[in-house]
Amino acid sequence: MKVALAQISPRLGNVEKNFDLHLKYIEKAKKKNVDLLIFPELSLTGYTLKDLVAEVALSPDSSPIFDELKTASRDVSLVFGFVEEKEKGLFYNSAAFLSEGKIVHIHRKVFLPTYGIFEEGKFFAQGKNFHTFSTPYGKAGMMICRDFLHYGACYLLFAGGSDIIIVISAAPGRGIQGKEAYETSRMWESMGETISLFSTAFLIYCNRVGFEDGKHFAGGSFIYNPMGKMVAKAAYLDNEFLLHEINLNDIHDARKKWPFKRDDKPEIILEALKRIISKYED
Amino acid sequence: MKINEPFVEKILTAFIREELSKFNYKKGILGLSGGLDSAVCAFLAAKALKPSNVIGLIIPYGETFSKDVKDAQEFSRLLKIKSRIIDISPVVDSYFSSYPTENKVLKGNKMARERMSILYDFSAREKALILGTSNKTELLLGYGTIHGDMACGINPLGDLYKTQIRQLAEYLGIPEKIRKKIPSAGLWIGQTDEDEIGLPYDEIDKILYQLVDKRTSKKDIIASGFKKETVEKIISLIKNSEFKRKLPPIPKMSSRSVGHDFLFPFDWDK
Repeated sequence: MKVALAQISPRLGNVEKNFDLHLKYIEKAKKKNVDLLIFPELSLTGYTLKDLVAEVALSPDSSPIFDELKTASRDVSLVFGFVEEKEKGLFYNSAAFLSEGKIVHIHRKVFLPTYGIFEEGKFFAQGKNFHTFSTPYGKAGMMICRDFLHYGACYLLFAGGSDIIIVISAAPGRGIQGKEAYETSRMWESMGETISLFSTAFLIYCNRVGFEDGKHFAGGSFIYNPMGKMVAKAAYLDNEFLLHEINLNDIHDARKKWPFKRDDKPEIILEALKRIISKYED
Repeated sequence: MKINEPFVEKILTAFIREELSKFNYKKGILGLSGGLDSAVCAFLAAKALKPSNVIGLIIPYGETFSKDVKDAQEFSRLLKIKSRIIDISPVVDSYFSSYPTENKVLKGNKMARERMSILYDFSAREKALILGTSNKTELLLGYGTIHGDMACGINPLGDLYKTQIRQLAEYLGIPEKIRKKIPSAGLWIGQTDEDEIGLPYDEIDKILYQLVDKRTSKKDIIASGFKKETVEKIISLIKNSEFKRKLPPIPKMSSRSVGHDFLFPFDWDK
């Protein structure tokens, strides 16, 4: 299965221009016989939207852009980020998985960072679930940026049976003591290694690059195989079209060696969580 | 506090290149004082944009700092950037002959704002974006003239402490003559930053790094060996200069107001 990551820098608040950019990468992917092409978080809109959120929002059922992307997904499956107006006046930071001309799944970001340089909670409604869904390549789950740093969210995709975990991201870099990357890049790689190994699933992380209002998106997109080994890695800071062929049989091999999936006890976790929650103080 | 110099160079040249292209500028312009910060900024701009797209304005007050003017000229020749000298003494003298004062700070601020005014004029004449040269230490302490040297289009060095800029300058190969200069705002003869602030940069930056980057409490910083008065002085300088780092307050009266809840990105449609 050929996977491609479009590590791009979208134009902030201009859906038309970003749609064109998506089409450009889709053409590129088609030429290379890519099966699944993945774009970063909010790839159709840019990240630092603030009051532009309502203006750039799309409704997947009625948007002509979605119609065109659905058509394109007959040739190459797509994952991209957009602002979704689900209920009237409620806007979500969403990720769509399109394949064979249809919307396979939409994930709405649950963990909206709202501190320091981040203000997503001010502008977006909160998603409520982490689904594992069927795709032509096996069962998959999606997370958006900060979702991935909450290992409870990763666990839900593992418990749901995801073979491929896709994370789309717009992560700004911080920390300039490191050699060739922002120090925060290590944090994403560390989660990538851990979650792929302990979920015995492919972990695909697509980040963006470029500056927005001085924030510098750190790039460094990657793919980990189900044994926790990094098998593909994009440049830090620069645009890249990262192409990699993954072997889905690796999932079988990993689970034969490491039966974490077989031995999981979701019902025990669930009951223990209920007990923890019941002890919350007012 | 230590930075990885090649990585920082890569970030800052990318930043300068990308910001200019977003706002449709080919050229950058900056004031060259002959000192360290403007030299580092000019170096990065020359690397990011090609030297022929960088204009260094040398804006002295008469002959007061002729050695710095010479250093700035030499450095712009070394970088192969364009440069031009504009003497502000006629304008400044004319103003102070009508409104005389012996107050050095008033005179210095006026000069800093004359330089700003000339930079903005040349920015429009040359269609060149103004590159600021305020560093993180100055921004945090408020050691700069509001609407003077703090005014710019983008500020590439604003997240580097003075000591980090020294480190970067050495890596970039900025001439020793410029690197070893005693930091000065150059507003009057004998003025030095460290005398005026009352503390050496090394110490200031160590304290700022703990306070700002590490979010260490005042109590813990003092306990780690810094003098109480020094730490308190730095905190008070930060507190009393917040107005220099913000747009002026607007009274909120309507349902949506500039500066309150009319919230759009700087890079809107860029």
